[in-house]
Amino acid sequence: MTATPVMVSPPKARRVRHERTGWGTVLLFLAPALVLLLIFLVYPTLSTLRMSVDRGLGGNFSRFVGLDNYISLLNTPSFVGSIVNNVLWIVFYTTFVILFGLAIAVVAMRVRYESTIKAIVFLPMAIAATALGVIWAFVYATDSNIGLLNALLGVIRIGPISWLGNPSFVNAALIAVGIWGSTGFATVILSAALKGIPTEILEAARTDGANEFQIFWRIIVPMVSLPISVLAVTLIVNVIKLFDIPYVMTQGGPGNASRVIAFEMYKQDFAAGLYGKAAAVAVIMLILLIPVMIFNVRRFRSSAVV
Amino acid sequence: MAKFPRFLTLPIAAVMIVSACGGGGSPAPAGGSTAPGGSTAAGSGAPAGSGVTGATITVTSLWGGSEQEAFQKVLDEFKAKTGNTATYQAQRTDYSTVLQSKITSGSPPVVAIMPGLGFLRQFARSGGIKKISDLGIDPASLEANYPPGILDTGKVDGELYGIMVKFNSKSTFWYRPDKLTAAGASTPKSWDDLKSLITTLQGKGDATPLALGAKDSWTLTDWFEEVYLRQNGPDAYKKLFSADGDWTDPTVSKALDTMKEVLTDKNVPGGITGALGVAFTDGIAQVFGTTAKADLYYEGGFVGGIATGQTNKALEIGKTIDWFDFPTFGGPGDTAAEIGGDEIAALTTNPGVKEFIQFMTDADSGSTWAKTGAIISPVKAVDASNYPNELAKKEAAQVAGASAVVYDGSDTLPAGAPDMGAMLQDVVQGKDTASLLKTFNDGVKSAWAGEK
Repeated sequence: MTATPVMVSPPKARRVRHERTGWGTVLLFLAPALVLLLIFLVYPTLSTLRMSVDRGLGGNFSRFVGLDNYISLLNTPSFVGSIVNNVLWIVFYTTFVILFGLAIAVVAMRVRYESTIKAIVFLPMAIAATALGVIWAFVYATDSNIGLLNALLGVIRIGPISWLGNPSFVNAALIAVGIWGSTGFATVILSAALKGIPTEILEAARTDGANEFQIFWRIIVPMVSLPISVLAVTLIVNVIKLFDIPYVMTQGGPGNASRVIAFEMYKQDFAAGLYGKAAAVAVIMLILLIPVMIFNVRRFRSSAVV
Repeated sequence: MAKFPRFLTLPIAAVMIVSACGGGGSPAPAGGSTAPGGSTAAGSGAPAGSGVTGATITVTSLWGGSEQEAFQKVLDEFKAKTGNTATYQAQRTDYSTVLQSKITSGSPPVVAIMPGLGFLRQFARSGGIKKISDLGIDPASLEANYPPGILDTGKVDGELYGIMVKFNSKSTFWYRPDKLTAAGASTPKSWDDLKSLITTLQGKGDATPLALGAKDSWTLTDWFEEVYLRQNGPDAYKKLFSADGDWTDPTVSKALDTMKEVLTDKNVPGGITGALGVAFTDGIAQVFGTTAKADLYYEGGFVGGIATGQTNKALEIGKTIDWFDFPTFGGPGDTAAEIGGDEIAALTTNPGVKEFIQFMTDADSGSTWAKTGAIISPVKAVDASNYPNELAKKEAAQVAGASAVVYDGSDTLPAGAPDMGAMLQDVVQGKDTASLLKTFNDGVKSAWAGEK
């Protein structure tokens, strides 16, 4: 071979090599990922589906019961209640975490001690959710000698309020704990996104006479809408698998007022030994997650993520 | 053919060994292979070989702290007496959960001391635990050691699987003697006495004399069980907590209404919603703590140890802490007592297990344990003088003198029954009792049916 054809032929050579790549090679390269996916995702999912149509008492899967587990779950008030509670969590937790995260990120950007503020807000992320629950159980205690919140309310002669014992307050109280714990995460993500907005755009807007509110709503928010939606999806997924905070703080009580789906699964599985029913709860959780996943995948396809 | 790759031999050998050891639920054959306890007991892997020494077994239960120290004394005595070693493994929280998964995964502890009969039944039926007779112990030989009814609690389908090793009375109503004396009141005998005592105490300035720690919903199940037992007697009580129980029966809603006569916003610190945010131990502190605001607290005999040992070490028995019998209704259950207890069960037939179970049923172990003040022993031969204080002596005497002893009902319900405590949390909030009971009844019925 001489040097000249080389200069002309590279595209050809590449095409030839491409044609040679058969399915065998494709599979070979995909195999490591596929095997892992099959073992750790596909097989457990199918196995869970299979388990969910069995009674599974004490882990003994030998009694097929058809859709009985699902029917019985949907007729259980505490299960339906737990789905409603998860919806409450999705709406309020996700909204407030993003709102607070965005507000803190925007405000912190304008001050000198930004990193200090972000560090403080981020600090709760370093606390395990169980510890978070224990700490806040103290804060909410009705005895004002223990409960910080009721001690503060006592100063202005209100209460004591039974935050965790009153069914009308308990969900709000738990969601507040979740918000406190996750705002730092949102702040850090959104702060990074804000830094990615070119200053020229903001300067141009200011030159054109836009005030800070207009800049926030018309420029900043649209420009970080993609990170916000990614964040929202992450938070929603977190909520659907939420377990630790209600488990530690209320055990789903009073009554069943603060049960969530994952807690219900735990109750069915471990506390009651009904593995089949617990698998059915897991399948329902999966079904609830599918729209979120579809949304997420579409987002990934439609535009690049920051 | 190429040589067998050498690097594979070790893993394959390991897999073969593991699968050989993991062979199913059948009892180990006599003189069999390896015992998981690492025992070297000479030749006799079978339960039939008595007088084993040098075996090591693991005992698991849910005690920690002072309760664990007390139990360690019993284990030390076991070693001194039989030459076998029993090591304790604490599982503080989610006891049945963890035990369940250990059994399911095929690596159970050797002996478990478990609370709750629902799980005992489930494990017994699934083959997770061994019959006492499988260990070579004749159940009939144990009958004489116990007051009537005690061994029955460990029977499943007529076979003995568990033996109660400790219990507490649940018919104890705790109070502050000093506060009652100051109010010029005496301890109540009947339910009406209790109601007028509460009114008297309220008149003396204790606005909310009756503490309640209903965040831990099992305190409410105990409340209900006591009232139901007193009103309807032991036979009706046992029936309610069996597969034949009918929760829509008027006696059930009557007992709930009776409970709600005293568990009111007016009597309970912080009202009912307040009490639903108060944990069991915080409820104790409301009566026996240093900043106490209430005078009465109903819960089992174990309140004494927690109150004097943790809540307030300055408490004086008879002066600032004491208990009276749960008030009566003039019904068939007036002289009955309810207990909650732990059952010992063997999960394997390893050497040393039989010896340990036998040891736990004799008076020596019971006395050693009783002396620590941590427990009341069900063994008849354990003398009352072994109990270190008046509260425990009284508790032992109450149960010994009861006309009938029944077991904690909520611990008897089948696994898979709806959460009784959660249901009662809804009841005390004033939700519609009839519909709650109907849902609960349906759930319990199907759980009983499913257990079979």
